[in-house]
Amino acid sequence: MPRRNNFLYIFLSLLFLSFVIFAASKIGLLKPLDSLGKGILSPVQALTYGVYAKLTDFGSSAQIELLKAENIALTKKLIDQNKLIGDNKALRDQFQTQNPKSLSLMEADVIGAPGFIPGISIPETLVLDRGENDGVKIGQAVVYEDNLIGKIIKTSAYLSSVVLISNSSSSFTAKTMSTQALGVIEGQGGGEMILGDVVLSDTLQKKDTVLTKGDVNSGGIGIPPDLVVGEIVSVSKFPSDLFQKANLKSKINFSKLTKVFIIVNNQ
Amino acid sequence: MKFSAFFLLIIALILEASLTTIPFVFLGLLVFMAVSRGNWLLVLGFIFGILLDLVSFKTLGISSIFFITFLFFVLLYQSKFEIATNTFVLVTSFLGSLGYLILIGYHDSLIFQAILSSIIGLLLFKLIQNSKIKSES
Repeated sequence: MPRRNNFLYIFLSLLFLSFVIFAASKIGLLKPLDSLGKGILSPVQALTYGVYAKLTDFGSSAQIELLKAENIALTKKLIDQNKLIGDNKALRDQFQTQNPKSLSLMEADVIGAPGFIPGISIPETLVLDRGENDGVKIGQAVVYEDNLIGKIIKTSAYLSSVVLISNSSSSFTAKTMSTQALGVIEGQGGGEMILGDVVLSDTLQKKDTVLTKGDVNSGGIGIPPDLVVGEIVSVSKFPSDLFQKANLKSKINFSKLTKVFIIVNNQ
Repeated sequence: MKFSAFFLLIIALILEASLTTIPFVFLGLLVFMAVSRGNWLLVLGFIFGILLDLVSFKTLGISSIFFITFLFFVLLYQSKFEIATNTFVLVTSFLGSLGYLILIGYHDSLIFQAILSSIIGLLLFKLIQNSKIKSES
């Protein structure tokens, strides 16, 4: 009986303490301690994630990786070229053209990927080693080269959390590169995305690249236009439906990302 | 035992914070409780719960509340029944992982993760149990 009482007292005191901490954390009293802890522990997370990324990369063929990188570079060139063609056309039509706005990028290391089972699933969110102290704000876009990776959803003083474009809670407007068909991207989880709500009169083509339509607020925060979302892998179009849709695949392997860039200012 | 529990829980914390949602810290605590039945694991549950919340963007204290409550019920159960059995570890690690994942808001591959957790829990239990037997003999 004394042993039982002993653990009952320990349990009750720890439970009380946990509830006090929980309540204090909920109302924001522990924010400095929380930030300090995250600041201390983030290098360890970065190291672990970096080691893991290197280990999983070990088995993949160097030539495939090279081809993937080339593919990304070529897509970027194609987008630039399309943009130039569009600009020229607009000039010819005597429309005023706008210069592409300069994007200010902040480099960030991926230090964690909650919701990720190595070898089985791909990450749904990423944790970055940049936070409010570096100017990171909720809603900012995260990119890798010209590819959209996701959007900041949570921040602390030293860290931030990114919801990936393939996450089931992710949704934003997009257009296809060659046909300019407009639609809404909806993440499906597990690296899958759907370009939906595309009117039947628009054309969706397999292997067409999908770009962001742009969703930046007056404060300069949000997803800028013309970032690569992915490539169309299949199209579903039925005459009886109001809209058509397409399945997309990102050109980026989210589980291999170790470094990304946060767009801190769209102005 | 205390030192090896602390060391293993540190590794579990790093893995859970960086790579995966499989609740390694919870599994470590549960398995050590099944093997050693020590009250000190309640204290470790509290400390590692806070550390886990700190590194994984959760409200501080939520994991601690779950860990110590679950371990308390295991301690209550062990006064009536045998807990150092494969069945007990398999069932409790499945139910505990499922509850924990729901509590922290993960919905993807929930059942799969819970099954995987129970298998990992069982393997960890056998490993720790064997090393305990070896060290005692």
